Amino acid sequence: MPLRPQTDALRGSLDLLVLNTLSLAPMHGWGISQRVQQTSKGVLEVNQGSLYPALQRLEKDGLITSEWGTTDNNRRARYYRLTAAGRRALGDELESWRRFAAGLEAVLRTS
Amino acid sequence: MSWLEGSRARLRLLFGRRAAEFRTDEEFRFHLDMETDRLVREAGLSRDEARRRAVAAFGGVQNHRESMSDGRGLAWLSGMSLDLKLGGRMLVKYPGLTVVGGLAMAFGIWFGAVTFQMFGVLTGTELPLPDGDRIVKIQNWDIQTLKDEDRVLYDYQFWRSARSITDVGAYRDASVNLAGGDGAVQPAAAAEVTASAFRIAPERPLLGRVLDESDERAGAEPVVLLGHGVWANRFDRDPGIVGRNVKIGAGFATVVGVMPEGFAFPMAHELWLPLRTDVPGVEPLRGGAITVFGRLGPGVSFESSQAEFTALGRRLAAEHPTTHAQLQPHVLPYTQMSVDTGEVTQVKALTYVFVVALVMVVCSTVALLLFARAASRETELLVRSALGASRRRIVAQLFAEALVLAGLAAAVGLAAAQLALTRWGKPYLMMAYETTMLPFWFDFDLSLTTIVAALALAVIGAVVAGVMPGRKITRGLGTRLRAGTAGGGGTSFGGVWTAVIVVQIALTVALPSVVMLVRGEIRRVESYDFGFPAEDYLAVTLGADGALDETMTEEVRAAMGARLSSSIDALRQRLEAEPGVVGVTTVDEFPGEHHDYRRLEVVSMPDSARSWVATASIHPSYFDVLQAPVRTGRAFTSADLAPNARVVIVDQAFVDLVMSGRNPVGHRVRFGSSAQLDSNVADLPSYEIVGVVKELGISSISMPQRWAGVYLPFVPGSIQASPKMIVHTRRDPTSIAPRVRELATSVDASLRVEKVTRLDLMAAPMLWLIGLWTRIIIGLTAVALVLSLAGIYAVLAYIVARRTREIGVRVALGASARRVITSIFRRPLTQVTLGVIAGAVLIALGAIAAANTTQFEGTEIGGMTFGDVPLLVGYAILMLGVCTLACVVPTVRALRVQPTEALRAE
Repeated sequence: MPLRPQTDALRGSLDLLVLNTLSLAPMHGWGISQRVQQTSKGVLEVNQGSLYPALQRLEKDGLITSEWGTTDNNRRARYYRLTAAGRRALGDELESWRRFAAGLEAVLRTS
Repeated sequence: MSWLEGSRARLRLLFGRRAAEFRTDEEFRFHLDMETDRLVREAGLSRDEARRRAVAAFGGVQNHRESMSDGRGLAWLSGMSLDLKLGGRMLVKYPGLTVVGGLAMAFGIWFGAVTFQMFGVLTGTELPLPDGDRIVKIQNWDIQTLKDEDRVLYDYQFWRSARSITDVGAYRDASVNLAGGDGAVQPAAAAEVTASAFRIAPERPLLGRVLDESDERAGAEPVVLLGHGVWANRFDRDPGIVGRNVKIGAGFATVVGVMPEGFAFPMAHELWLPLRTDVPGVEPLRGGAITVFGRLGPGVSFESSQAEFTALGRRLAAEHPTTHAQLQPHVLPYTQMSVDTGEVTQVKALTYVFVVALVMVVCSTVALLLFARAASRETELLVRSALGASRRRIVAQLFAEALVLAGLAAAVGLAAAQLALTRWGKPYLMMAYETTMLPFWFDFDLSLTTIVAALALAVIGAVVAGVMPGRKITRGLGTRLRAGTAGGGGTSFGGVWTAVIVVQIALTVALPSVVMLVRGEIRRVESYDFGFPAEDYLAVTLGADGALDETMTEEVRAAMGARLSSSIDALRQRLEAEPGVVGVTTVDEFPGEHHDYRRLEVVSMPDSARSWVATASIHPSYFDVLQAPVRTGRAFTSADLAPNARVVIVDQAFVDLVMSGRNPVGHRVRFGSSAQLDSNVADLPSYEIVGVVKELGISSISMPQRWAGVYLPFVPGSIQASPKMIVHTRRDPTSIAPRVRELATSVDASLRVEKVTRLDLMAAPMLWLIGLWTRIIIGLTAVALVLSLAGIYAVLAYIVARRTREIGVRVALGASARRVITSIFRRPLTQVTLGVIAGAVLIALGAIAAANTTQFEGTEIGGMTFGDVPLLVGYAILMLGVCTLACVVPTVRALRVQPTEALRAE
């Protein structure tokens, strides 16, 4: 049975996942949701719609920016890209997440 | 640049609401389409099934949309805009309330805006010149008398060494007689000024050049710089005026230039002459009054400049302890009138408190009206509450409604304020300061500060009128909702509202008595008895050039005094020879003006109390010209002009008030200042009373008291700042005014006619001022009256509406109309009666306060006679009647209610 983390915990790391996804290339909302699900190997099942308020929040904070573009099969879509501030924030977040995970790991190993 | 991007995104989100919503929808649609396609492609589902699953995985489209809308930080804004729209609709739906409440609020805001603007004009620090906020004036402040010491020519030489201030200069007012292009002589507002003034106010001249330092040197050719108005009106815009010689006073000066329109530095001047300041041998506190100005040096603050001048002041005090020990130089913003001892701030603060209180009182009545309206909408509010609106949300809605009304009121109030300021602001200040020219920086257009202040008042008003009733009506809304008593009415008018109505009525009762008092004052001024037909007399105020020359010694002063006396005498004789002139005389103060007030003791009646008397120095011809022959004793003779003659003539009021009706002729009196009379009475010379005349306007028009008058013969040769002449004519006295000007300049070119008016019209400016205040008080009363009537009406209408069922049942059970009316009327009648009583108490308190102030000392109560009392009682009864009338309409409506209807309503 796969692990299903609590939604609250997920929301906290959703920003990190979005930023990480966008660090590879600009992407539209559906693409981001697919990517997140793929990279988390289905472990993190995103309530897809909740991605959009997160995107809006990140844009408001100046971490990402967005503009209209067209997909490969010629459909109009909103593309999000990381800003310089977003890139910096991602670095910081990853660093602290790794520290946290390592700490957690150490605790789990000793117990 | 993340903050920039962030704020750009925020702005886009905040203002592009529609665009943002559209974008969200489009994004969601794209997402669902892509997910559906994927499921069809990868899971081989039918299109419909794929769509269903895609929507399920997305998880509540509407929910996400709302959380995005909240995320935009706009939820409250869109709610507010809805409330504001609703508020606008309410204004249209209840036009009566809109008009009454709106006008009342507008009046409060109007009053506030006018007050703010006038204070801004009077105490504003913004000088419309380059670097205006760094231009300063330097004043010597006397810490003992708390007054400016403006004889600072000596200090000026010293202050010029200051490093913190550049372009130090000085000026003094020097009104002069100027002969225009046509030879006609008229006075002009001139300033003697140092050349640095034209660096402080760097305006390019229209023609020629401005004054420069070489013009100030001893022996320099006399020059003059003309203002635009003088050049246009007096020289017909002569393009070749520069280089011409014009006659100024007794001498001539060469025109060096013409300034452009609007230039009036240093204050309100139209002509500039060089000011010589490097006079040799100037001593401390000698010489005429000058005003010193300058500009703060680059990077210098007021504080550091003040520190330098304080040090300079100490040095001067050490060098000249007798004259400068109590003097402190102060660096002030140029537009500040004087050193602020805290009084100005105090008056300002008190006035602002008064304005805010006025707006709050007005708005609390508007609150009453809004409360009645909200109460009648209780069902609507209950439904909103049931649908999940929080108490805060409902209060916000009522606040928004009040805000719309207040906004409308602010617009009307500000427009009216601009109108009033344009029409009355300027003349008001001119009358109040007794001048014809106001400083060039006085701006009567509403300033940004005033507009912001008025809008703040509107918001305060909206809080009082919206939040107060909102909080009250929503209290216990939930309980009522659960109890299901909607429509039955659980809301009632509490003690606060009763108090508001009572205060309102009290004001309505009390304010007209103020109007009556003021009207009484106008009547008194208008019917002021001069004791002679003042409308046949011309009052001429004269002025002489050079009266303030700083190099003048005592001998020169004496010589000038003698010359001035002989000039005035010559003018008097020339005028007497004019056809239509009956007589001409001179005096130190015109009848009806303030005179010198002194304390006097009758030497031969040592037991008599010392009395206050008014004194006047007159020419021996005075009583003859005023056609008031001496009643007892004799008139002044030329022998009385000798310095040691020591005789006086008293008036009938003196006989009545000081002598208790006894004949004063032959008695001796001593008089002086209050302190002199108390300490060294024996040193004061005594004067013999030689005659008695009728009362001739020695009591000032502006004071209601009757003053005892003492006349002294005017000693020739003494210098007066502004000698006064009275001309008795056979026809309209003003027709001779131009001739007076002509004769004055032909007798002595330096003799100026500063003011000519019919003697009885001297009080006209004062009447205008009193009239203006009367109008404002009448406006206040009208607003208070309309508001209290509307308040009572609202309360009654509400009570009756709430008691419709009860009334119906009562009538059905056979209650008489009288009983029903009594039960309805009890409350408003109590309120009106309480209000009238409170008003009467206010009047009584005011009358007692007025009786205790020195202004009204010894007169009838506050200028109010007992004849006014029935009038006030009558007015109170009328008020009661009008209030009752306001109760009638809702009551009649209640009685018309059919019992069945009332029961069905339940």
